[in-house]
Amino acid sequence: MKVEVISKGLFSLIVDEGRKGKQRHGFSQSGPMDEMASHWANFLAHNPDNTPCLEVMGKMTVCFHEPAIVAVAGRQVTVQVNGHDQPSYSSIKVNKNDRLSFQSEYVGSKAYLAIYGEWKIPHQVGSACTVVRESLGGLHGDGRGISDGDCIDISRCDEQTYEAVSVRQLPIQHSMSIKYGEHVAYDIEAPLRVIKGYQEAHFSQVAKRMFESSEYTVSSSIDRMGYRLNGADIASSLSSMRSEAIHVGAIQVPPDGQPIIMMRDRQTLGGYPKLGCLNPLDVSRLAQRVPGETVSFIFQNSEEARADILLSRQHVQRLRGEIA
Amino acid sequence: MQPFGSIKQFVPVGADAIMLYFSGSNLEQANAACQQWLRVLDSAANNSEQAWLVECVPSYDSLLIIFDIERVDSHFVYNTLRSWQNGGNTMSGPAVGSSAVVSPAGGETEVAAGKCHTLPVWYGAPDANDLAEISQKTSLSIEDIISLHTSVEYKVYAVGFAPGFGYMGDIVQPLQCPRLSTPRKKVPKGAVAIADRQTAVYPSESPGGWNLMGLCPKTMLDKNNQSLLSAGDTVKFVSITESEFNAYHEG
Repeated sequence: MKVEVISKGLFSLIVDEGRKGKQRHGFSQSGPMDEMASHWANFLAHNPDNTPCLEVMGKMTVCFHEPAIVAVAGRQVTVQVNGHDQPSYSSIKVNKNDRLSFQSEYVGSKAYLAIYGEWKIPHQVGSACTVVRESLGGLHGDGRGISDGDCIDISRCDEQTYEAVSVRQLPIQHSMSIKYGEHVAYDIEAPLRVIKGYQEAHFSQVAKRMFESSEYTVSSSIDRMGYRLNGADIASSLSSMRSEAIHVGAIQVPPDGQPIIMMRDRQTLGGYPKLGCLNPLDVSRLAQRVPGETVSFIFQNSEEARADILLSRQHVQRLRGEIA
Repeated sequence: MQPFGSIKQFVPVGADAIMLYFSGSNLEQANAACQQWLRVLDSAANNSEQAWLVECVPSYDSLLIIFDIERVDSHFVYNTLRSWQNGGNTMSGPAVGSSAVVSPAGGETEVAAGKCHTLPVWYGAPDANDLAEISQKTSLSIEDIISLHTSVEYKVYAVGFAPGFGYMGDIVQPLQCPRLSTPRKKVPKGAVAIADRQTAVYPSESPGGWNLMGLCPKTMLDKNNQSLLSAGDTVKFVSITESEFNAYHEG
């Protein structure tokens, strides 16, 4: 089955869960910026979590050459089929020649389109995920993003399956405010949780208090590698250090004192001091913030972080069980 | 989490990872200790009972261990490493004792041998030639620069920054020179470069701030995206001419 991209929006690419165990060879982890949303999209489209899907900024329009089961998720996403509103966070059964359009209400936030079936696209270094900088992944396996007119080949959804599968829909209270642990998913108010670590000892008490008590503005220098924030200066006393592994969500502070949160396509090694790491749940939340919005931080210890993560996963499992 | 053996420090990294820092009388020793622990962890990763192990990312003197937070926490990881250090006396531990991969607590760590590579370089290739600037920075003649760069067997300390990019060292002291004040937007594929104590070959075209010396015709990242260099390998550069460069075939 062909899915034709009529309009790619601002910037769109194919992602899956990314490359595992390859950072030691210099390959970025990659994967969806908002893993929670991409997992929901795939679940609602009756796909396993690691199925490729589209990560889209701006408004995308696609045309289906055959009937298909799809789902769209993300931050405040609107969805239309042939100009008629459809729910996000829900399975949608589209017909032959239907046109699906969707976008986040926030320019720069990501929407995820999952389409039921097997995506016939190349896998490199264990993943189909697009990494532009590494010329890897995507429709042609060369790291290019999606272009207008691209056709994605996905295994056909046979009539029986199309009729038989249930319409999965996240209950409305959850689709408006998906809870990730204690925090509502895209709630601007809830601070991002940080576990201190790495070179934490080289940041002064004053710097750490400043970091926790002030607001930071998301700058325009944000991409899949990292999110640069503007706000209180929290430079460390460390002038030089050996390059070491950068974990996802690491809070890297270059000499100018302005933190950069390292995201999915970050380089594998780096030599700037790091204050700690975001709780993995909050990497997805930060990924949906756009330039000009503010974020704040709260420290938690790793036991609290682990409890939050386990609770969140239980919550997601329970919801999935209720929906399926 | 108290240090033991060649591990001088455990540092938390987020909710689902810890960083190990290694000691040694010099960087090479610390790097060797890192490689040995990596091998222990890799052999453990093949054991289904160690499914908690998600990924390891080694660097110069550090090793990031990412674990499955649903299965274990950082204390479990610490205790598991500790038990392996003490001879793998847990039921599920890898056979550390028999292969003597990890040195006894406090002992010197053996330097394990990786692969040896010989990398040909067309020094002064026009697309990658900062030799005049290097000469200025180091007060060495171009002949001396080339002979110093080819005089040493380098160790690959880490692979990172970009796929297949090996950080090698150490450059002999007289040849050490700082990076460019403004990085280039484009460094060609195969460029051989130096910065401070390090040298490297750019596996593909990328931005970069190191001083360029020439071009290496060997593929650093093959069609299947396999990296030629791994941490722990050794590398010797040899000088080739332009015609040898043009006639170069892999193999």
